[in-house]
Amino acid sequence: MTSTSVRPVGYGIVRARRGSFLLHRRSAAVAMVLLLVLAAVSVAYLCVGERFVAPGEVLKVILGQDARATFVVEELRMPRLAVGLMVGAAFGVAGALIQTVARNPLASPDIIGISQGAGALTVGAMTFGLTSYTVLPYLSIVGGVAAAALVYVFAWRGGLHATRFVLIGIGFAIALRSLTTLFMTKGDYLVAQQAQIWMTGSLNGRGWDEAAPIRWTLLLMLPALLWAARAQRTVSLDDDTATALGVRLGRVRLGLVVVGVVLASVATGVAGPVDFVALLAPQIARRMTRTAQIPLLCSALTGALVVVAADLLGRRLFSPTELPVGVLTAAVGAPYLIWLIVRSRTGGKA
Amino acid sequence: MSRLTARELTLAYEDRTVVHGLDLAVPDGKVTVIVGPNACGKSTTLRALGRLLKPKGGAVLLDGEELAKIPTKRIAQSIGLLPQTPVAPEAITVADLVSRGRQPHQAWWKQWSREDERAVVDAMERTDVAALAERPVDELSGGQRQRVWIAMALAQETDLLLLDEPTTYLDISHQVEVLDLVRQLNHERGRTVAVVLHDLNQAARYADHLVAMKAGRVVAEGEPEEVVTADLVREVFGLESVVIPDPVTGSPLVIPAAPWHAPAPMDA
Repeated sequence: MTSTSVRPVGYGIVRARRGSFLLHRRSAAVAMVLLLVLAAVSVAYLCVGERFVAPGEVLKVILGQDARATFVVEELRMPRLAVGLMVGAAFGVAGALIQTVARNPLASPDIIGISQGAGALTVGAMTFGLTSYTVLPYLSIVGGVAAAALVYVFAWRGGLHATRFVLIGIGFAIALRSLTTLFMTKGDYLVAQQAQIWMTGSLNGRGWDEAAPIRWTLLLMLPALLWAARAQRTVSLDDDTATALGVRLGRVRLGLVVVGVVLASVATGVAGPVDFVALLAPQIARRMTRTAQIPLLCSALTGALVVVAADLLGRRLFSPTELPVGVLTAAVGAPYLIWLIVRSRTGGKA
Repeated sequence: MSRLTARELTLAYEDRTVVHGLDLAVPDGKVTVIVGPNACGKSTTLRALGRLLKPKGGAVLLDGEELAKIPTKRIAQSIGLLPQTPVAPEAITVADLVSRGRQPHQAWWKQWSREDERAVVDAMERTDVAALAERPVDELSGGQRQRVWIAMALAQETDLLLLDEPTTYLDISHQVEVLDLVRQLNHERGRTVAVVLHDLNQAARYADHLVAMKAGRVVAEGEPEEVVTADLVREVFGLESVVIPDPVTGSPLVIPAAPWHAPAPMDA
């Protein structure tokens, strides 16, 4: 048989015992490159700060050997780096999932009200005196899921129409942002200041304790993500075709959205609504891998890279003044958003 | 014998009823063509046969079991369906799209078996798209694209295949090509095929079993020679016509009545 030529082009097949797995070759290569860059940026992140620590010292700390810089690296910079990596990855994956379901790159959690829902509840809680970042992320999940449920219910009309979903989401995003501002003006001065910084998206002062909520959420979501990566293959087809292939589209979509919403919300709770990461990372990743659906792993890695690189710049650019990470991701994100919109107007497909 | 049947099927979009108490049996191993004027409910019926639309009343039965009660993945192992206007994800390659037809035979831990590979190769060779394997679907011509979609439905390897107006948007040579392919599949693999078509003459040429619908009801069904008559064309399409034997196939050929022309002056 002339079989070897026609497997899905661009995929490798991994066979193990009775199982077989498809692996998109270019995605795997892109992921490797992203990992290497991410490792390099992470080491730089640990070196740079008020006091420079040589890369050799940093590696010693990472390997657990005794070094003079242990405290600075392990207790100050490393947890912040870890939070940045996890927040970026969570936003990247969340954007990828929700954009896939809505078949629209604009349908990312920071545009359609999910981050804003998480934000409203979080800032609301802050004004009531709850200011601990070890607890706030869980409230954010509640806020984000509630906002997503509202958008879903209002956008539902015998089916989920992508444009309607995005427009209603934007409406809720605006309303919830006003609500957040209202909470801030009601709270006392110090709370308002904390909320203000949080609203921009910041990693400042995040230690190992603050990393726990997002770490647990990511770990819990890992099996769901393995499922989601495969489910995307059929969800990215049109509704009729996917249904004809035996996909329970309603359930699968709901599952993907729930995973995306939880991840976006928890990330928002830890670091604030770091703008545009969820929108950008999947689109950048997809253009790199040239896959038919948005690649999950590469979206996560791209998200992590964007956040960590932006925070590295934010820490050093105007030192000793620190810019919140959200300021820089937004500065990169806004022009890109405009470009995307202009492009889709001129006929480019989502 | 019919594995796929509809019993007192009533179909509606929101509160607009499109199909009323329809009974239909898709004969096994034959090519069934459903024809009728625009908005007669033929595509709607096909969608219901392929569980894309839930019946308001009655039921579609597969091997005597109600479709609504069979897990959708199991249905997909028996019924393949090509919708009217399928949309390919941006930048997807031909081979990638065709291989997604294997979905109902796969599982998380079994993403690509040798069986999958054989089915995809076979489907692509039959539809003559193997040479296009690495091309992005959005760069293909309409005829090529339609063949790719049919390949995807074939890769699913189902005994029953439903095609919703597979020739729309194609020029005449591609229309013939697609319909010939349908016939060939039916003949060589004994697959049951149900097709919705616009063109009555094409329907008469390719159908073993012809179903004529009007306003959500079956008006006539049977072999094309029995079904297609000038009376039926008048009743179903409201068109005066002459029906003659097709000079090539002998199947009924509908010639519409003389075109409009200026009335002759009454008196000179």
